[in-house]
Amino acid sequence: MKISEEILNNISSLSKIRIDEKIKPDLIKDLESILKMVEEMNKIDTSGIEPMSHPLDEADNLRKDEATDEIRRDEYQKFAPQTDDGFYLTPKVIE
Amino acid sequence: MNNTWESVIGLEVHVQLSTESKIFSNAPTKFGQTQNSQASLVDLGLPGVLPVLNEKTIEMAIKFGCAINANISSKAIFARKNYFYPDLPKGYQISQLDDPIVGEGKISIEIDNEEKFIGITRAHLEEDAGKSLHDKYENLSAIDLNRAGTPLLEIVSEPDLRSAKEAVAYLKKIHSIITFLEISDGNMSQGSMRCDANVSIRKYGDKEFGNRTELKNINSFRFVEKAIDYEIARQIEIIENGGSIYQETRLYDANKNETRSMRSKEHANDYRYFPDPDLIPITISKEKIQEIEKSLPELPEQKIVRFIKDYKISEYESKNLNASRELSNFFEKVAKKISSPDLAAKWILGDLMAILNKNNSEIQDSKISSEDMINLLCKIEEGSLSGPGAKKIIELCWSSNESIDNLIKKEGLDEVKGEDEILKIISRILEDNPKQHEQYLNGKDKLFGFFVGQVMKETKGSADPKLVNKLLNKKLKQ
Amino acid sequence: MEDLSKLSLVEQINGLKLKKFSSMELTEFYLNKIDQEKVLNSFISLNENALTEAKKSDEKIAKNKNSSLEGIPIAHKDIFCIKDQKTTCGSKMLENFISPYSSTVYEKLSNSGTVNLGKTNMDEFAMGSSNETSFFGSVLNPIDPERVPGGSSGGSASAVAANLCSFATGTDTGGSIRQPAAFCGITGIKPTYGRVSRWGMIAFASSLDQGGIFAKNALDAALALENIAGFDEKDSTSINKKVPPFFDQAKLKDKEHIVGIPKNIIEDIKDEKVKNNFYESIDILKKSGVKVKEIDLKNIQYSLPVYYVIAPAECSANLSRYDGVRFGHRCDNPKDLDDLYERSRAEGFGEEVKKRILIGTYCLSAGYYDAYYLKAQKIRNLIKQSFMDAFKEVTSIMMPTCANVSFKLNSIQNPVEMYEQDIYTIPANLAGLPAISIPSGKINKLPLGIQFIGNYLEEGNLLNLSNKFQQNSDFHNE
Repeated sequence: MKISEEILNNISSLSKIRIDEKIKPDLIKDLESILKMVEEMNKIDTSGIEPMSHPLDEADNLRKDEATDEIRRDEYQKFAPQTDDGFYLTPKVIE
Repeated sequence: MNNTWESVIGLEVHVQLSTESKIFSNAPTKFGQTQNSQASLVDLGLPGVLPVLNEKTIEMAIKFGCAINANISSKAIFARKNYFYPDLPKGYQISQLDDPIVGEGKISIEIDNEEKFIGITRAHLEEDAGKSLHDKYENLSAIDLNRAGTPLLEIVSEPDLRSAKEAVAYLKKIHSIITFLEISDGNMSQGSMRCDANVSIRKYGDKEFGNRTELKNINSFRFVEKAIDYEIARQIEIIENGGSIYQETRLYDANKNETRSMRSKEHANDYRYFPDPDLIPITISKEKIQEIEKSLPELPEQKIVRFIKDYKISEYESKNLNASRELSNFFEKVAKKISSPDLAAKWILGDLMAILNKNNSEIQDSKISSEDMINLLCKIEEGSLSGPGAKKIIELCWSSNESIDNLIKKEGLDEVKGEDEILKIISRILEDNPKQHEQYLNGKDKLFGFFVGQVMKETKGSADPKLVNKLLNKKLKQ
Repeated sequence: MEDLSKLSLVEQINGLKLKKFSSMELTEFYLNKIDQEKVLNSFISLNENALTEAKKSDEKIAKNKNSSLEGIPIAHKDIFCIKDQKTTCGSKMLENFISPYSSTVYEKLSNSGTVNLGKTNMDEFAMGSSNETSFFGSVLNPIDPERVPGGSSGGSASAVAANLCSFATGTDTGGSIRQPAAFCGITGIKPTYGRVSRWGMIAFASSLDQGGIFAKNALDAALALENIAGFDEKDSTSINKKVPPFFDQAKLKDKEHIVGIPKNIIEDIKDEKVKNNFYESIDILKKSGVKVKEIDLKNIQYSLPVYYVIAPAECSANLSRYDGVRFGHRCDNPKDLDDLYERSRAEGFGEEVKKRILIGTYCLSAGYYDAYYLKAQKIRNLIKQSFMDAFKEVTSIMMPTCANVSFKLNSIQNPVEMYEQDIYTIPANLAGLPAISIPSGKINKLPLGIQFIGNYLEEGNLLNLSNKFQQNSDFHNE
C-alpha cells in the first residue's frame, strides 16, 4: 500500500503529531514497508471467522455504585503543566 | 406553516443517569462542585489507570429499554470513540457502537388529541466529557473535569417527528419516563438531560430525506420548539430561493433566536471506533432482564388507566395528574384517604395547581402537604368546611406557617354548621323574613337566592352552599 | 565477603531468615554493584529510600514478622507507577512525571517485603525489541556490552543478568520479557493474560500487555510470580481465580508433560545453529523424562502482521492521553490548541512511538478498518484456535524464543527487520497464553533461549517443565 503525502497528513492530523517536512520521505518509506509486511494477512481466507478482541471471552468485573474515590486534586495538579484555581488551562479554544 | 414542505426531525437525547458514582470510576457525581474536585485518577486519564463498569448503569439502561418495549442486548460491549479535545482526558470517549445495550423501541406521544408512535432507534451507555470554560481567562480556556465520566444514556429517535411541537411532546415524554423510572432527574437547565435535533425538510410526498443539520445547545423545552421552528423556516427559505442545505452542526442562540453554523471542531470526524480492550463484554442474562422488568415502577401510561378505573376520575383528569411522578403520588396519597377521590382530583388540579403556578412552585415543594389536603377534603366531605372556606384556607396556608386546623379556627370557619345547625339557621331566617317567605311560596322563585345569601351571611360564608341549597329546598317544600 | 548477588532468590530468603546477612547488607551490596556497572545503563532512576526500606525489613525479620519476600532487593521496569516517585516509561513525554498512585504490581511486591532498588530502563512506551528507543539511552547487554540486551524490558533483563538485583519485574506485549531473557541468558515468564493486574502499568496495547518476572531460574521466577499474580477489582481484565502455589508446582517431581514440537515452525528456522540448539534442548527434555510429540501449529506465521495492526491500533488510542494538558511534556508557548497537541506530542514521543501511532491510526481509519483491524482480529481468532487444537494433544508447546542471538547496537535500522525479532514470541500474546523463556545454551558465547507456551492459567505447568530442564542442564548458572 502506497502512503501518499495526503494520507500521511491525514493520519498525522488525526493523531495530532506534527511531522517535520524533512523527515516525511523516510517516514513514508518506513510506513510503507511496515504496511507491506502487514498485507501478508491478505493471503489467508477469514470468511466466516469471528473477530477476537479480547483473549478473555467474558468477565463480569462490575463495580458497586459507591462514591468511594478519595480525590486529592491539588496533589494531582502538582505535575500539571498549567493550572489556576483548580482549573487546567489550555490555549483558548474557539468554538 | 407552508403546506408544500414537510419537516423531518430526529432527536438525540443525552440523559445523565442519577448514579452515586461515575460510570467507570468511584468518583462522586454531585452537581455544581468546585472545579476538578470530583475528577479521580481514572477520570483524569492518568497513565496506567483502567475503567471498571458501574453495575447500576446497566440496570438503569435496561429499565429504560423495558419501558420502551425495546430489545435488550445480551452483552454490554464498549467501544472507543477517538478524538482530541481538552475536556476529553483520554483522547477517546468510551461509548457503544455496534452493540447498543438497548435496541429498537417506541414511545407514544399525544399531538392534537391523537396518539402517535415515535420510533427509538437505540439507546446506549457512554461517559460524559468534562467542561471547557472559554470566558474566564483572556487567552486561555479553563478545563473542569468534574463531569468527565458521568454516565450518559444516549437515546436516538427515528426521524419520525414532523414538527417542533411533536419534538417537544417527544422530549416531554422521554422526560416523564426517565423521571418515573428514577434513572435521571431530567433537569435540562442543569444539563442532566440534553437534546440535539437533526432537522431537514422535503416536499410532501417525497420519499427521500433532505440534507439535515444538527442543532446543538438547546437547554429547555421552550428553546427546543423555537430552535426547530427557526431552523425549518431557515431551510425552507434557502431552498425556495434556489439554495441547498449542507450537512452541518449549528448552535442555537437563545438570545437572538437563531441558529449559527459552528466553526467545526469536528472537521476531521473520523472517530476510528474499535472495541475497548480494557472492558471485556459483560453478559446480560435473560433472568436479570426479567428481574428488572418486574421491579419497574408503574409507568405513566399504566397509571393513567388505573387511576380512571380505581378512582373513577375522567381521562382528562388522570392524564393531568400523571404529568409527573410526584404529582401522581401526591394525588394517590390523598385519594386513598378520602371517600370521594374525584373530589381530590378536582381540588388538586384546580385550586392547588393554581396556587402552585402562581408561586412558580412544583408539587414537591408544595407548602400544602398531602396530609393537609386530606384534612381539608375530609372536612368538606363531612360538611364541616365549605368549598369557599377551603379555598380561603389554601391561600392562607401558602403564606402562613400555621397549621390548617389553626387557620380554620382563626378564620372562624370551624363554626361551619352541620345539617342541624343549618336547619336551625334556615328556620330563623324564614321566621325573620316572613314577607319574603310568603312571596316565595306564592311563586317568586328569585327569592331563593336571597335566602341562601342570608344563611351564608349568618354563617360568615362557612356553610356549604350546596348543603344550604338542599336543606333550604327541603324546608321550603314543607 | 561472599558475592551475595550470586545467590538465588530462594537462597537469599533463607540467608536473611537465618541472619547470615541482613537486608541492609544485601541492598548496599547491590547498590554498589549498580554503581560499578553504570555503563550498562540498566537503571533510569534509583530509589533513594532503598536503605531505609531495607532497614525496616531487617527490623521485621528480627521480630519474626517477615513477609514472604522480606528484605529482598528488586528492580521495577519503569512502566510500573510508584506513588510519589518518577515513572518515565522510557520517554521524554513522562520525563518528570511523578505518579500520585502506585501500581498493583508494585504494591503487592512492596507488601511482600521487597526493597525497591530503582526503576529499570526500557524501550519507550514498551515499543521495541532492543532497548535502543529509550529517551534515556540504550541499555547494554552484560554478556557483550557492544550488543543489545533485547527489549522492551532491556533494563530489567540486564540488571538480573548482571546480578544487580534478586529479580526484576517486566512487561511483555509481543515478547518484551522473553526475548531479553533469551538475549541475556536468564529466565523470563509472561503469565496468562489477566493473571497479573494492569492497574498502574502504563498501557501500550491493552489486550496484549502483561506484567511478568525476570529471574535467575524457574524456581525463583515461580516464587516471584506468586507475589505479583492475583485478581484486582480495579482492572476489568483481571482474572478472578485463586493464584496456585507456583513455587510448589514448579518443584513437583512427578508431573507429566507432553511437549508439542510444531514441525512446520521448527523446519523453517533459518539459522542452523539456532536449529541445532533447539534439537539439543529437546534431547535434554527427553533425558529428563519428558515426552515430546510433533504437532502442527497452523497460521502462526501470520502472527507478525496481525500484531503490527492490533498493537499499533490499541497504542494509538492509549497514547492519546499524552496531550500536554494535565501532565507530561508540554511544548513552549503553544499558539493554539492544535499547536499544543501537535508540538507537545512531536517533541515528547520518539520516532518508533510515532511510527506505531501513525500505523495504528491508519489501520483504524475510515475505509481501512475492515481490511486491517477487523482482518487482524479474525486471524487472531484462528491463531487462538490453532493453539486450542494443539492443547488437545499436548500439555505445552516448545519453540525457540528468538531466531537469532543478540545483535550489535545500531545494527538494525529497518523497522520490519526489528519487528521480526518477535516472530516466535508474539503468538502467545495474541492468544493470551502464558509463556516462559529459559536459557538453552550459547552461540559464539552469546546466550539463546527456548520457549515453552502453556494453556490458559497453566503457569505452574510451564515452571515445572522449566525447572525440570534446569535440573538437567546448567545454562541458567552460566
